[in-house]
Amino acid sequence: MAGPSSESLLHRLTAGDRRALGEVYDRYAALVNGLALRILRNRSEAEDVVQEVFVQVWKQAARFDPARGSPAAWICTIARTRALDRLRHSTSRREEASDAAPEASEAPRTEEVLAVRKALEALSAEQRNALELAYYEGLTQTEIAARLGEPLGTIKTRIRTALIRLRDLLRPVTP
Amino acid sequence: MTDQRLRELLPGHALGVLDADDRAYVEAGLEREPEARQELAALEEIVGRLGLVATPVPPSPGLKEEVLREVGSAAATAPAGAGRAWTWLAAAAALLFAVGLLVVRAQRDQARGEAAAALLRAETAEARTREALAELETTRVLLAREQALRGLVGRPDTRLVSLGGLPAAPRARARVVFDPTTREAFLLASGLDRAPHGKAYEVWVIAAGAPVPAGLFQVDAEGRAVFRLSDVAEMAGVRTFAVTLEPAAGVPAPTGPMVLAGAVS
Repeated sequence: MAGPSSESLLHRLTAGDRRALGEVYDRYAALVNGLALRILRNRSEAEDVVQEVFVQVWKQAARFDPARGSPAAWICTIARTRALDRLRHSTSRREEASDAAPEASEAPRTEEVLAVRKALEALSAEQRNALELAYYEGLTQTEIAARLGEPLGTIKTRIRTALIRLRDLLRPVTP
Repeated sequence: MTDQRLRELLPGHALGVLDADDRAYVEAGLEREPEARQELAALEEIVGRLGLVATPVPPSPGLKEEVLREVGSAAATAPAGAGRAWTWLAAAAALLFAVGLLVVRAQRDQARGEAAAALLRAETAEARTREALAELETTRVLLAREQALRGLVGRPDTRLVSLGGLPAAPRARARVVFDPTTREAFLLASGLDRAPHGKAYEVWVIAAGAPVPAGLFQVDAEGRAVFRLSDVAEMAGVRTFAVTLEPAAGVPAPTGPMVLAGAVS
């Protein structure tokens, strides 16, 4: 990717560099918004989350530890946490998946994204499905089991196996 | 990790799918087991990456402006990182000139609190006793270091040198507190990036001749370090302190980029 590394951009945030925040926003706002939309299925709530996420990134940039993962993953974690939080606490109208994202853009074909896609494809459809319910809807194991009509023990094992498989397939992103 | 139940619950915890009682069990286990914390961190990193496959959707064009505006109003109180680094350095300076050693005392109290907690844990299972003893030892080392630093600060012959960041590390700052007679010396650094894997920062003492190596250090997640230099004879006649980035095992003469340097006045 041309331009400064995302790690160095985050580092500049700790020095109060607002232009760096603009660049971080340009790189990740669409991803954060897409993720928030998938979780919240409500455009204005998703945009509220986008704003909250980048303000949090600004305030907590010093906490980002490159040894612990990539900037994109860190930002996604913040985004998912805030979006699920909002999902649990608000009663706004949720749109149908197709209505919520008409202007979807092409996902960046970075190595990181491709690696995760490939790893997910290595899972069974059932494993992927269980992970998606967990990741995008914030359901507990019990709720997932109820939703799928499966025994709780089966779901527990399925989720655990899926995540361990992903961990084994994806090399940690350490410098 | 011997607790099989804990180990099996970690993936679910990383994903946030555990029911309340399992979650409580894991949280209690994380307190006890540093290995579990490490394993959880690795799993959380994987979960973090799952979001990358979401289809990006550009938000409304005006949103960027709103974000920058909201952050602009918060800029008066600088983001935690910058503020904390400079406040910390100012506190380190106060350490040298002020009567009240508040920073050292706070760290010492914290070290004592950690020592008390470690003792409490030592009264339970044997494996935990061993772990607690290792932590106590670290605490003792930290306490001894703080006491040595405090002792150094209290003496009239103690010198202070400011080091500035070089182009390889423009945000880095450091001070060396040292006594040329006893050759005790501490480096307090901030604004350094974490050294890449396999590398470390090496300190150099330069007197009349070639640079002499005085130890290797790493910075914490916030780019800071408090490091006690090795005892080298050249400390008595030191003219310059410097820090370079070297292979983690250290080298006898500088080879890597210089990140900090400062002359004794």
